[in-house]
Amino acid sequence: MGADASDLSLVRRVQRGDKGAFDALVLKYQHKLVKLVMRYVRNPAEAEDIAQEAFIKAYRALPQFRGDSAFYTWLYRIAINTAKNAVVSRDRSPIDYELDRNSGDESYDMQGRMKDSETPEGLVLTDEIRSTVNAAIDALPEDLRTAIVLRELEGLSYEEIAAAMDCPVGTVRSRIFRAREAIDRRLREVFEGGLGRAEELG
Amino acid sequence: MNEELDSQLSAMFDDELPTAECELLARRLSRDEQLKARWGRYAVMGAVIRAERGVRLNAPLAGRVSAVLVAEPSLEAHGTARVARRGGLRWWQPVAATGLAAGVAAVSILWLRAQVPLPGKPPAALAAATPVLPGTAVVRASIGSGARPGESYVVPRPRAMAPVVVPSTELANYVVAHSMFSTPVARRNLLSAFMASEPAGAGAEEALEDVKRAAQ
Repeated sequence: MGADASDLSLVRRVQRGDKGAFDALVLKYQHKLVKLVMRYVRNPAEAEDIAQEAFIKAYRALPQFRGDSAFYTWLYRIAINTAKNAVVSRDRSPIDYELDRNSGDESYDMQGRMKDSETPEGLVLTDEIRSTVNAAIDALPEDLRTAIVLRELEGLSYEEIAAAMDCPVGTVRSRIFRAREAIDRRLREVFEGGLGRAEELG
Repeated sequence: MNEELDSQLSAMFDDELPTAECELLARRLSRDEQLKARWGRYAVMGAVIRAERGVRLNAPLAGRVSAVLVAEPSLEAHGTARVARRGGLRWWQPVAATGLAAGVAAVSILWLRAQVPLPGKPPAALAAATPVLPGTAVVRASIGSGARPGESYVVPRPRAMAPVVVPSTELANYVVAHSMFSTPVARRNLLSAFMASEPAGAGAEEALEDVKRAAQ
């Protein structure tokens, strides 16, 4: 297996015209990218807009992506540049920004967007997702919890986790998969059951 | 969903699946909405574990991106067009090179034709280098009837076209032998003409006639 092999296999599919593979890349990196953009803009809705723009730019530039660097590293650079440009553009035209805010045009009403992104329903759902996942992790057996936390929080490879937990790599893979399955059983209920927002994930 | 497939999906999410298996699973992932939704939930789990505060976990970002990309041409079409453009360039390259070579050859031929004299004309460079003296002319000569243009050469034409009277020995002897019978004026005129070797003219011919008349 090669580093970034899974991203690269999805990228190759997109380059061959499979747009569905790009959905998978967006799903995988959307939270990371929004978090990254929020270093430049405080407003989550604006950060999402910038992240969306970055993804679209990345899609259009994908024919030039040769895989010399990891896909996320490449995407990261695009997102940073998009965020910087957005900030410069916004600072360069503060009058327009004010006019837009006062014009009542919903598409450019930043205040309106902030309100929209932080509707009580949206906040409740995000909190529910967060508490569900945290509860599911707390309920995991120690070995599964350690494996998933080392992977997601520390970013260790399976080999590094195997060394840390003194077990074979295959066991690490199995533990992480079982941890995810246990969390997903509860998470699926939130998306598909409780508030019926499964479609909002993608 | 079978457990093996889900296990592969989890490993693929972590970039820990062998490349060959990634290729197969990526194909399925791009088409299977259930698998894609599970993949998306794996991403949400990671965001929660990393405590990515401020990030909306239910944000419809992927759906918005997907909606925008519906209107975009697929990259395959884009790639095909690029390949076609590049192919077109490749096709034109030899044609352009041939055209350029033909142009260079044509210029070379024209230049050579300017250097090689046409039949009946001296080479420009040689003609320029050959001084044309008063009373001479540059003429072109050929070596035999089968001579090629390149084998011709140019010689200065002697002043035969403007003949100079060269006193022959016979004429000189004649003048000396009959000097006693010619008038002093005629003899002087004729001898002056011999000594000066002046071009033939009416005066010389007259002098010659005088010599002949005096002899008779």
